[in-house]
Amino acid sequence: MAKPKISSDWLAGCAGCHMSLLDIDERIVTIAELADLRSTPITDLKEPDEGGVDVGILEGGVNNSANEEVAHKFRKRCKLLVAFGDCAVFGGVPAMRNMFTLEEALRRAYVETESTDSEGKIPDDPELATMTRVRALNEVVPVDIHVPGCPPDPDVIFYVLSELAQGRIPEIKGEKLHWH
Amino acid sequence: MTTVTIDGKVIEVPEGTTVLRAAQTAGISIPTLCDHKELSPYGGCRLCLVEVEGARTLQPSCTLPVSNNMVVRTDTEKVREARKFVLTLIFSERNHFCMYCQVSGGDCELQNAAYREEMTHWPLQPNWQPYAVDASHPYFVLDNNRCILCRRCVRACSELVGNHTLGFEERGARSFLVADLGLPLGESTCISCGTCLQVCPTGALIDRQSAYRGKETQVEDHMTICAGCSVGCGMNVLTRDNRMVRLEGDWEAPVNGGLLCEIGRFEQQNDARERILTPLVRKDGSLKAATWDEALNVISSRMRPLAGIENSGIAALASTRLPVEALSAFKQIFADKMRSDMVTSIEEGIYTAASSTLANEYGHPFEGKLSDLATADLVVLFDADMTRLHEVASFFVKRNLQAGTNLVVVGREAGELDRWGIPVKATRGSDADVLAAIAAARAGAALESYETQIGVPAGKLALVGELLRDAKNAVIVYGKGMDKTTLQTLVEFAAANSAKVLGLKGAANSFTGALLGLEKPFNVNGHQAVYLALGDDEPSQRLAQKVANAPFLAVQASYASQLTAQADVVLPVQMWAEQEGHYINLDGHIQAAKQSLTPADDVRSNAAALEALAASLGVDVSPDWREQICQRVPSAALEG
Repeated sequence: MAKPKISSDWLAGCAGCHMSLLDIDERIVTIAELADLRSTPITDLKEPDEGGVDVGILEGGVNNSANEEVAHKFRKRCKLLVAFGDCAVFGGVPAMRNMFTLEEALRRAYVETESTDSEGKIPDDPELATMTRVRALNEVVPVDIHVPGCPPDPDVIFYVLSELAQGRIPEIKGEKLHWH
Repeated sequence: MTTVTIDGKVIEVPEGTTVLRAAQTAGISIPTLCDHKELSPYGGCRLCLVEVEGARTLQPSCTLPVSNNMVVRTDTEKVREARKFVLTLIFSERNHFCMYCQVSGGDCELQNAAYREEMTHWPLQPNWQPYAVDASHPYFVLDNNRCILCRRCVRACSELVGNHTLGFEERGARSFLVADLGLPLGESTCISCGTCLQVCPTGALIDRQSAYRGKETQVEDHMTICAGCSVGCGMNVLTRDNRMVRLEGDWEAPVNGGLLCEIGRFEQQNDARERILTPLVRKDGSLKAATWDEALNVISSRMRPLAGIENSGIAALASTRLPVEALSAFKQIFADKMRSDMVTSIEEGIYTAASSTLANEYGHPFEGKLSDLATADLVVLFDADMTRLHEVASFFVKRNLQAGTNLVVVGREAGELDRWGIPVKATRGSDADVLAAIAAARAGAALESYETQIGVPAGKLALVGELLRDAKNAVIVYGKGMDKTTLQTLVEFAAANSAKVLGLKGAANSFTGALLGLEKPFNVNGHQAVYLALGDDEPSQRLAQKVANAPFLAVQASYASQLTAQADVVLPVQMWAEQEGHYINLDGHIQAAKQSLTPADDVRSNAAALEALAASLGVDVSPDWREQICQRVPSAALEG
């Protein structure tokens, strides 16, 4: 049996879940032996293979048109899609901005910040992605496996990766189940 | 008894028991969010749904009484699916984001319930509609985003406390927890007892003081007794790294059943007074740090020659917040061994002198128990103010009013409880006159002359008389400052009406002060030395003035005050949470307080400080405080 191919990417998150992934330390060698690690945000290959991969892992919620595109691409190219961390699972900390309008959020970020000394300007380049409400990944595309946690514990991540790398579906319950 | 089969187990329970309680007695756990063992069943969250053989749909076990030969299943696929669905709906109703919630990670019953059902995500999106956060209250914050509409707080506020501040407006998903008719909590009729905080299953009501300072798994519990007043509530002092995190009522405590008041729960945690951490001795006009031996030597060399000198020897006064052990040693040192003529307590007997004199004349206790309030159909408060101290006892009264208990508030000044009952406010005449008027009303006599005498309308007196005639289980509660003759009239009036009598008393060990005879008015008249066992009490201006001209003043105190600044010697002692000891509450429960905080090295317990003083004076004191408190007849039977 060929090694399962795994790809990952990050959306509206803080990269903390990927940092927690690196916290599995030397066990990453075991994962690399069991699986074919393809594109990730911290390796050279940036997109899952066009021919498809077995597992796609997405960190972060979906908060603009660029994230939507990545989410759809992953769904299309991955047999199993994993929502990785509280932002991907629930919307997470970025979703706090959903309690305000986009205009209010942008003004707070670019105009009203304490460090803005001159007038401040909301970026309006047409090339920029269009902002949306922050959504959990499963609100945008169907998700097969949810791994909550802010970030998920490295032991849980290793368990999930090793199960997936060996062609099994991980069961997140008991001590492995934490939402934050 | 009714027989019910739950998950194959055959259980016998009393008729009327709910399926949930029956399951719990058999050790079968059914998840629930709105249920609380101290509150009436509500059936609001639907998490406790179970399968009942023969029933068309799943049934909420918390409101379903068992019937004979009922067969219940709590762990079928259908039940588990329903629980997940119920949780899915609850999560979608508001905005429950665990990653920035205070109670996430073990303290949230909603999160724990989701973990139990192995929910890795929310199948439905949250509401996203932001709800108002009410931060107007000094002690706690209401975040409606995290409310699950379980109404535990509303039930606690009305069923346990009887304050009826919290309620819900609107219906269904638009239901909103509100105070009064929509006032901010801080401006509402909330009396800050904090019971709602203690029952909230989520982060909807959170305590400002303890927020983010430690989860249940990170704090230590210390089950102890509140030293706030003579009710003697059982409470849990939660600490972390030797600091108080939060104070909670002990649900299992016999006296209060989990309730606390503002003083008990919040105020005594916020003591900002400066601590005294080392003995101090006055040298060259100012207080200097000293060792315990030096300080004790200064006191004993001044006091030893004064033993037994009437009116010119030693005057000694103790706080009624001290444990029995300390008060017993205090009384033995100064009254028995040094034979001082002025040994008393900070209360000077204003709460207890009449009742202890009367009990000793009768030769038996005459007061009832706090638990009598639970069964009372009429409560008469006779100059008994329960708005600050003894507030938990007022909850026992207020929570029964809706069920038909009547309340008469006799007094001169307006009080918080007036609006809950029938206020009888005499504008003239003595307590004895007021009592005579009430007795006449009870007897159905003409009341016009009494109206003139005490300034209470005859119609109102007649109403009180009627209530007294109708009452089967009346309780008369009296407060401070009553003279013995009036109290005797009151007690005899109560006996003639088969009513119970309760005396509120004062601080945590007010009753002990009475049992040890520490009840006389405090006066320093030519006394050569004054000893004040103040503990963590806050001294009054009046006390400071009384001792201002004392030739020698020794104070044992936890906190710096005007008195310690005036003193010649100061001994540092532990505050309530640092020392162990016993307290006798107003109805005679002898209860043990435990140590919750480790004191600083040089700070001794009040009892240890007095024992060291006794040794330094060369006098023997017996550690057997039970023998000491048996020398007078208690006004309420002692137990425990």
